Amino acid sequence: MKKIGSRSVMILILTLAFFAGLVYHTVNLTLHTKEWVASPMNRHLPEHDQLEYAGKIIDRNGVILAQSINEKRYYNEDEETRMACLHIVGDNSVNIATAIQTVYRSSLTSFEFNGDFLFGLGLPTMMDNKNEIDIIGNDVTLTIDSRIQKAALKALGSYKGAVFIYNYKTGEIICMVSTPTYDPQNVPYDIETNDKYDGAYLNRALSASYPPGSTFKIVTAAAAVSEIPDISKSAFDCRGTDTIGGKPVTCFQHTPHGHIDLTEALAKSCNIFFAKLSVALGKDKMTSYAEQMGFNHDITFDGIVTADSVYKVDDASENELAWSGVGQYTVLETPVNMAMISAAVANGGTPVMPYFIQSMGPITKNTTTLGTPMMEKSVADQLRDMMEYTASTYNLNDTFRVCGKTGTAEISDNGDVAHAWFTGFLLSEDCPYAFSIILEQAENGSSEAVEAMNQILASASTGAGAEPALP
Amino acid sequence: MSNIGEMIAFVFRLATPLLMLIIIILCFRALRSGRREEHALIVLDDELNNVRYPVLFWENTLGRSKGSDICIPDITVSRDHAVLLRREAGWFITDTGSKSGVYVNNRKVSGRHPIFVGDKITVGTTTLTLNRADAPLDTTQRRKIKPVSPPKASSCSAILSLITTLIIVLTVEGAIYSGSMQAFPHALIFTAILWGFYQFSVKKLSRKSFELEALALMLSGTGIIVNALHDPKQAYTQLVALCIGIVFYCFMIWFIGIPDRVMKWRIIIYGVAVLLLGLTLLIGKNINGAKNWILIGPVSVQPSEFVKIALIFVGASTLDHLQTKKNLFGFILFVGICIGMFFLMSDFGTALIFFVTFLAIAFMRSGNFKTVILAIAAAVLGVVLILTFKPYIAERFQAWGHVWEYANAAGYQQVNAFICSASGGAFGLGLTKGFLQYVFASESDLVFGLISEEMGLITALMMAAVIGGFMIYARGVSTRSRSAFYSIAACTAGGLLVFQAALNIFGVTDILPLTGVTLPFLSYGGSSMIACWGLLSFIKAADERTYSQVKPKKLTPPKNPSA
Repeated sequence: MKKIGSRSVMILILTLAFFAGLVYHTVNLTLHTKEWVASPMNRHLPEHDQLEYAGKIIDRNGVILAQSINEKRYYNEDEETRMACLHIVGDNSVNIATAIQTVYRSSLTSFEFNGDFLFGLGLPTMMDNKNEIDIIGNDVTLTIDSRIQKAALKALGSYKGAVFIYNYKTGEIICMVSTPTYDPQNVPYDIETNDKYDGAYLNRALSASYPPGSTFKIVTAAAAVSEIPDISKSAFDCRGTDTIGGKPVTCFQHTPHGHIDLTEALAKSCNIFFAKLSVALGKDKMTSYAEQMGFNHDITFDGIVTADSVYKVDDASENELAWSGVGQYTVLETPVNMAMISAAVANGGTPVMPYFIQSMGPITKNTTTLGTPMMEKSVADQLRDMMEYTASTYNLNDTFRVCGKTGTAEISDNGDVAHAWFTGFLLSEDCPYAFSIILEQAENGSSEAVEAMNQILASASTGAGAEPALP
Repeated sequence: MSNIGEMIAFVFRLATPLLMLIIIILCFRALRSGRREEHALIVLDDELNNVRYPVLFWENTLGRSKGSDICIPDITVSRDHAVLLRREAGWFITDTGSKSGVYVNNRKVSGRHPIFVGDKITVGTTTLTLNRADAPLDTTQRRKIKPVSPPKASSCSAILSLITTLIIVLTVEGAIYSGSMQAFPHALIFTAILWGFYQFSVKKLSRKSFELEALALMLSGTGIIVNALHDPKQAYTQLVALCIGIVFYCFMIWFIGIPDRVMKWRIIIYGVAVLLLGLTLLIGKNINGAKNWILIGPVSVQPSEFVKIALIFVGASTLDHLQTKKNLFGFILFVGICIGMFFLMSDFGTALIFFVTFLAIAFMRSGNFKTVILAIAAAVLGVVLILTFKPYIAERFQAWGHVWEYANAAGYQQVNAFICSASGGAFGLGLTKGFLQYVFASESDLVFGLISEEMGLITALMMAAVIGGFMIYARGVSTRSRSAFYSIAACTAGGLLVFQAALNIFGVTDILPLTGVTLPFLSYGGSSMIACWGLLSFIKAADERTYSQVKPKKLTPPKNPSA
């Protein structure tokens, strides 16, 4: 029995460990009381419409885009700024799915518990001084430049469309505008009925995918440079029209481009050249390169999921495969994806992931992260030279060295005006921007997209866009 | 709610932990004070060397080794020579494989042999004479107990009145906060059970103490009232389970009253337990991720809860093989089969409880650290193997240690328990005022958090401390119990209750992974309630006072020694 008595000490030690665990829990609970009571998951906290107390939304230069005063939400005093930033900031409702005030609505406020552990939230109401719980706003600082936003809104004019500009070295989104837009301070009464506002809730830069037209030639070119040896030395006679798979493939206005190589073909946007390339590469390789460059899956940044870009040629005929190589057939692309492809070319083959939330409350999110590689560095360098040559044929302001590619995307066979695209990037240390712009059904084609981007970039070079982000 | 009502409820909230504290202090003080002091039951006199050996326990090892209860410094005595036992029929000596044998009155004996006052016992070259201790032995027992345990009815009824007050306080507080009297019938029925059981215990069974039962009733009653305020129908089931538990408790104490009977039934219990688990595997229902339920009509039973009692039976019933280590094999096989079946049922919590209880029993029986370390090594290897082949099991525990990262997934229950406990503070938000009640398994797995939120951390901690107190009490009585069986059973039953409470409480508080075991006496669950009372009976049985009223002792040799 003596032995059993001494052996039972082991179980006694287990019991002491149990008591030690209880002490640990008590200490843990008392140390974390303020934090845990104030958790947004705590259902004991008062309910409120969070925007009433939400923090400020501030652009990179300290311009306040939205703030709450006396439990009311106010947006920037300038109407154009309000409209230009609508799709980033959001409105009082949750109509704009990708806006900060939708995605981060609950993070824009937080609670502060002023009581202590002794009574927790358990004091009876008449003994409670009612100040136990404070609601405090969390400010959000963006990488967005509201001045460039305004310039972009102006450049888009009356067209529906989108502009997306981001720093391909850091990932900061400088400008993201979508039209049509409206004023969140004075939401138009006819927003649901007036055609003018059709699709106004959509941030087209992220959530819309369009036929990319000739801008897709960057993807086809990247695939060709990677897969076909000596492609840069091979040349071809363009007669303006050709037959592939028994059906015609034509260049713009059937204009023959003559004897051209890959660089010239990209600069002159020769459809037949790239159509032949995509047929030569075949469905599997085209699909594989397109998917490497972001097609067929969404992009996620800052907790926002974009629409998918689409490249599906499984059921395509040879002629349709040919057309897919120039961004027609059923190919679709989002402006953000397009800008990221340009960023990959600029950045040696691997894009930096875009982001627009610099900090939220006490948390600084400012992190530059690399996306998945889209192409080899040698391929990217070759494409960069080709895109610089291509851009030199456009009517661009000479402030920057620009690399780019335009596109005119046919949207139907019955003569509807095509969408105008321009994507590319700046070879600039101060403004390392990759961009994309789309003007839906622009009257004068892609030259309008070039002109619009020209204006926006001019404002970026003269405006605050060149300033470093706030610390 | 009126201000006056709210104020009363607030005062009740402050009073609850105070009441509970008084009850706990009174109970444990009574449990301590009623204990017999360590006086010799008999003495062995070495008349040649004029040395007197006091015999302190009901079971005593006799040998040369220092750890023996009766240590004889004679090199001709084996290290573990014999065992001196006291049974209902009197005193016995059993040779435990000594080299030179045991002689009683110069006749070599084998097996269990009765000895009487004046007998000469020869071990090695030492001859010991069995004598009464200073006072006549058959009254020693009664005298030692009687002065410290007078008719306890008065002090114990005071404790019971306090428990009744506590139940009333909780019920009224709940009624004020919820605006419903739904817990009143439960409180009434519970109070009837409380006093009825007490009367039965004192009057019919003439038990001298009721404190252990009072503490368990306080926990069960609090659990039932909390349950009744959230789900009155469920709480009726729990009341029925409490009644069955109490009947089971009384039966168990009667059943294990005679150690020889336990030994006889051991193999049957062994077989029934294995069959029961096998049956669960075959026809068991999967409820909430573990296939450990058997449905009998409208009643669902968790056999694994009852197998815990079988584990202690099988493990602890060593009787006078106090020193032999050989008979561990059958027990290891039993534990192995059970743990294997728990894994097949995905009931990892119970598997862990079994393993730890096995370690406790194995160590208590053999005192061998090597066995324990070997078993732990084998278990670690087993777990690694299982996780390699079935990695999804690990996913169930992925949130452990970082529940806030999985706040909306695997860590949801713990995070809510944290938030709610913090909101409740030391005195709670008031019964039914909590939010944890809406989280899944709030009244079984998360009950510690639920009590912490609604009744405050102090109350929750005190209830946990009561379970720890059971263990400390079990250890306190273990060396004074009538047989090694009772000592080992009490310590391991206490250890099992504490370990299960630890798994439950530390599961909610993210110190250990959340395994979904119940908190003894407090969690909702009929099988668990009955099994906990069953386990408590081992602790009660270890206290020699439990059986003190039925002790016909024969110390003088019968007229006819062969009878």
